[in-house]
Amino acid sequence: MSRRLLIGMFSDEHDILDVTKAARERGYRIVDVYAPYAVHGMDKAMGLPPSRLPWVCFLLGLSGAALKVWFEYWTTATDWPINVGGKPWDSLPAFVPITFEVMVLFAGISTVLAFFAVSGLVPGRSKQLIHPRSTNDRFALVLEQTDAAFDKAAARRLLEGHNAVEVLERVEEAR
Amino acid sequence: MNVPEMDFKMPVGLNGFLRGVTLAGALIVAAGLMWAPQRTWSSLLLAGYFLVCLGLAGVFFVATHYAAGAAWHVAFRRVPEAMTAILPYGAGILAAVFLFGSSLYPWTAEKAHGGFQAMWLNLPFFLSRAALYLTLWFLFARAIVRRSRLQDVTRAAMDTQKNARTSILFLVVFAVTFWLASFDWLMSLTPHWYSTIFGIYNFAGMFSSGLAVMILLVIWMRRAGPLRDFVNQEHLHDLGKLLFAFSTFWMYIWFSQYMLVWYANIPEETVYYVQRQHGFWLPLFILNFLLNWVVPFVVLLPTRTKRDAGILGKAALIVLLGRWLDIYLMTQPMSSGSAPRFGLWEIGAFTGACSLFVLIFLRAMRRALPVPMGDPMLAESLHYHN
Repeated sequence: MSRRLLIGMFSDEHDILDVTKAARERGYRIVDVYAPYAVHGMDKAMGLPPSRLPWVCFLLGLSGAALKVWFEYWTTATDWPINVGGKPWDSLPAFVPITFEVMVLFAGISTVLAFFAVSGLVPGRSKQLIHPRSTNDRFALVLEQTDAAFDKAAARRLLEGHNAVEVLERVEEAR
Repeated sequence: MNVPEMDFKMPVGLNGFLRGVTLAGALIVAAGLMWAPQRTWSSLLLAGYFLVCLGLAGVFFVATHYAAGAAWHVAFRRVPEAMTAILPYGAGILAAVFLFGSSLYPWTAEKAHGGFQAMWLNLPFFLSRAALYLTLWFLFARAIVRRSRLQDVTRAAMDTQKNARTSILFLVVFAVTFWLASFDWLMSLTPHWYSTIFGIYNFAGMFSSGLAVMILLVIWMRRAGPLRDFVNQEHLHDLGKLLFAFSTFWMYIWFSQYMLVWYANIPEETVYYVQRQHGFWLPLFILNFLLNWVVPFVVLLPTRTKRDAGILGKAALIVLLGRWLDIYLMTQPMSSGSAPRFGLWEIGAFTGACSLFVLIFLRAMRRALPVPMGDPMLAESLHYHN
């Protein structure tokens, strides 16, 4: 099924924040908002649920740290014990810096990979820009024209009332 | 925008209560100087250093934000500014300790070993250095706070720039003087033990406890009135992030100091930790990083708890207690011997110092508008998002 979209282009960060909030309050279905940079407060304006990425970060960080402690214990105390300066085999303080590094490595890389996976950013993905300037100096609010009752004129008025520089209509073919 | 009123909704008689507690603390300390002078000087050093650090954290916070051109903190900047008012009082307590209780420092009695140590650690030079550090900090704090209050009237953006310049100069001076001061005042209690990271360790503790106090005061000022319409959850969220970060930084530096000593295992260096790990010192030694890092780290990890004034305030209170314990562990084991001592003299200095701080803070807060209305970045601070 194809979707009919109504796209408002804005040139100011505050306009896009306000219009997104207003559109959500009036019950329009917001497909997405495109911005050249992260706009603070946008997730709240769009009514997005809290991100689940912190959980990926936390759990992978924890498992990275746990794995590393186990690995260091296994190498230095079990598999090939080496006496370093008369320290005990399981010298935990000596393991701390590496454990910390591996925890950060696991947490950081897994968060980035999870973000790529969730947003479908895989090699070979073709680019789909909503507007050529949405990566440069324009903010785009994309509304879906849900059904016949969708009052296009009212939606257009809303967008223009928030200083839209351009209002576009587009039909998106089903993928 | 209306100029906020100083409509404190404080409990009736709070000021009188604080005065009473401060006076009682002072009397206990005076009695302590008669009955147990060594012990009381030691807890006065702890109290004075604690208070000076809180004042310094206020200047440091304001100065870093001026230097970085930050806007988010403007809505509650009067709180760290008012915190700096404690500096002369803390300095006074420290001056009393250095002038009359210098027997705390072993190097005043014994013959110094090396040539450099004899040159560095002698009373006249020690006292003049302390006077220099405290005067510099006080003058910088006064200059920055004055200019900021002046801006309420002038409303000139130029004042922000002038303060940024003063702040940058302060930060450079502060980095060197605070590092040396922590060597002079705390590390020289064990004159044959050296740790070059000691100053950074003290800075980490100073700033994380300063943030904890700032959080408590901001929450209080928000509940009690003057900041009600100015401070929102976004400010608390960012303050919580800073507390989280600097409590972790403190742990990082704590461990950096500990690990090198542990690894090298040289008696001259390990003596510091041996002193703090035997007998009943060990539970305190462990409690130190539970309060200063483990609790705030676990509690403040989710977004929700940093935005909840109740939870954030409790975490800040725990960090504050941890800070007291941290300085206690840096100053007391040398004079206490095998078991920690905590009795009337310590409690008197502790409660006296806390109530003195609140008293001075409230007085400083009343002296100026509770929000810097003339700062051009105030509007941005009221509307920012995380």
